[in-house]
Amino acid sequence: MKNSAGDKDRTVLSVEGLVKKYGKKKALQGVSFKIAGGDFLGLLGPNGAGKTTTIKILTGLTKLTEGGVYYYGKDFSGHPREAKRFIGMVPQQSNLDRDLTAFQNLYLHTILHGIPKPLRMEKIDEALEFAGLKEYRDRQVKTFSGGMRRRLVIVRALLHEPRILFLDEPTVGLDPQIRRTLWELILKVNQVKGTAILLTTHYIEEAEKLCGRVLIINRGRIIAEGPPDDLKKDIGRYVLEIFLENRIEEHFFPTREEALEGCDHSCKVREVTLEDVFLKLTGRRINV
Amino acid sequence: MFNGFKGVLYRELSVFRTRAKKQILASSLSPLLYLIAFGWSFGRGVSVDGLPYITFLIPGLITMSSLNQSYGIAQELNITRFYFHVFDEFLIAPISHTEIVLGEAAYGMFKGLLSTILIFVYALLFGVKLIFNPVFFMAILLHTFLFAALGITIAMIVRDHGTQATVNTFVITPMIFLSGTFFPVDKLPYIFKMIVYALPLTYSTKVIRASLTGGEINPLFVFLIVMFAALFFYTALWAVRRVEA
Repeated sequence: MKNSAGDKDRTVLSVEGLVKKYGKKKALQGVSFKIAGGDFLGLLGPNGAGKTTTIKILTGLTKLTEGGVYYYGKDFSGHPREAKRFIGMVPQQSNLDRDLTAFQNLYLHTILHGIPKPLRMEKIDEALEFAGLKEYRDRQVKTFSGGMRRRLVIVRALLHEPRILFLDEPTVGLDPQIRRTLWELILKVNQVKGTAILLTTHYIEEAEKLCGRVLIINRGRIIAEGPPDDLKKDIGRYVLEIFLENRIEEHFFPTREEALEGCDHSCKVREVTLEDVFLKLTGRRINV
Repeated sequence: MFNGFKGVLYRELSVFRTRAKKQILASSLSPLLYLIAFGWSFGRGVSVDGLPYITFLIPGLITMSSLNQSYGIAQELNITRFYFHVFDEFLIAPISHTEIVLGEAAYGMFKGLLSTILIFVYALLFGVKLIFNPVFFMAILLHTFLFAALGITIAMIVRDHGTQATVNTFVITPMIFLSGTFFPVDKLPYIFKMIVYALPLTYSTKVIRASLTGGEINPLFVFLIVMFAALFFYTALWAVRRVEA
C-alpha cells in the first residue's frame, strides 16, 4: 500500500478566497491554501475560528458564499461527484449508526462509494485490522468506547482510498492515552498510505506532533502559515516569562542564554510553543 | 450504478431489522382498536354508501395506516439528521440527490406496504370480503410513494424535532381524520369539503376504496394522485438539494 495515485507533490486541493456568510456574519473571510499529495496540514485555531466551516465547505456539506475549491484542478461545485471520490471525511461528531454493527457500517460505505462487490469483504477486513477492531466486527457500535468509534470512523473514511482525508477535531474529548493511539493511526494513514491529511484542532501539541505545515486561523482569516518549527523560530526559540504582581510578561529570544540574561528575580525561561505564536499573533489564548 | 439508492435502502432496512418486531407490533395496534371500536361495535348493522360499515372502513384503515408508516420516515430521518448525523454519510458520498430521495422513498413504501398487508390480515380475521382490482396495486404504490416523498420534504425543511411534531399535529392528523378514511367526505359541510378536496389522501382513499369494494374508479382521481406523487417527488428533491449539514 503505497501512494497508489502517485500524486506526491501534485496539488490535490486548492482553495481560493473562501468566504462564508451566515446572514450578515462572516464565518470565513477569504481563506486560501493548497495541499499537495501526501501533505499533512493542520488548521489550528480557537473554537469559532472557522475550522469546521472550512472542512464542511471542502467536503460539500455546506455551500460557500464566494471563492473556489478545486480538486486536481477541477472545480468542486462543477464536478461534485467526481471530486467526492478523492475525499475522505471524519466529522467532529461520530456519525456511525449505533444500532448497526461495525461491519454493517463499513459495508454501507462500500456501497455508497461504489466499491465493486468482490472487493468489499477484503477491504472491510483490511480496515478492521488497520483499526485494531477485528474481534468487534459483528458487535453493535453502541457497545463501542469513544476511541473505538473514532478509529472505526477513520478507517471507514479510508475504504474508498481517498487522496485527501479531512479530520475535524479527531481527538476531542478523548483521554490522553487513547489520543496517543489515535495519533499513531493517523500518522500511519499519512505515511503508509500516502494520503494527504487536513486536520483541524485546537490542541497545540496535536498540531506540533502531527502536522508538517500549520495554518493558524482566527476569526475566519489565516493569520500565519508554515512548518511548526519555522513559525516558532520566527518569534524566537525561547520565552522569558516575568511574573509581575497581576500579570505575566513575555519576551522572546533566539537562544536560551539571551533569555536568561533578562531574568533577575521571579521569572522562568522555557521553549516557545505554537501557542505562543498564536498568542503573539492574536492576543488571545486558544484553550479558553 | 444506483449505488446511492442501494446504499440508502441497505442502511434503512438494516436499521429497520434491528427493531422490526417492536415497530410492527406498535403499528398493528391502532388499526385494530379502530376496527373494534368503529367497525365491530358502533358500526354493526350500519351501512355507508351501500356497504357494511366495516367493509367501508377497511380501505380507510389501509390508507391511514400506510400513510402513517410511509410518512413516518420523516421522524426517522429527523433522528438520522439531527441526532446520529448519519445523513452526512449520504451527503458526502459520490451519489446523486435523486438516489437519496428514491432510496428513502422506497423504504417508506416498504413500511407502508407492510402495514397494508397487516390490515388485509385483519380483514380476513373479521370476515370482510374484498375484491382485488389491479388498480389497487398501482394506487397503493403511488399512495405510499407520495406520502413518503412528503415525509422526506418535511424532514429536510424543519430545523428540529419540535417543528416536525407541529407539522404532524396541524397537517397530517387533520388530514387523516377528514379525508374520507372513516366517513364519506360528501357528508362534510361545504367549507370542509373544499379543504378536503385539496388533500391527496382524499383521492387515494376514494380510489383504493373503490378498487377494493367493487366501486367505480374515477380516472380523474387516479390522475390527481399521479400529479401529487410527481409534485412531492419534486419537493423532496428540492429539499434534499438545499439541505446543509
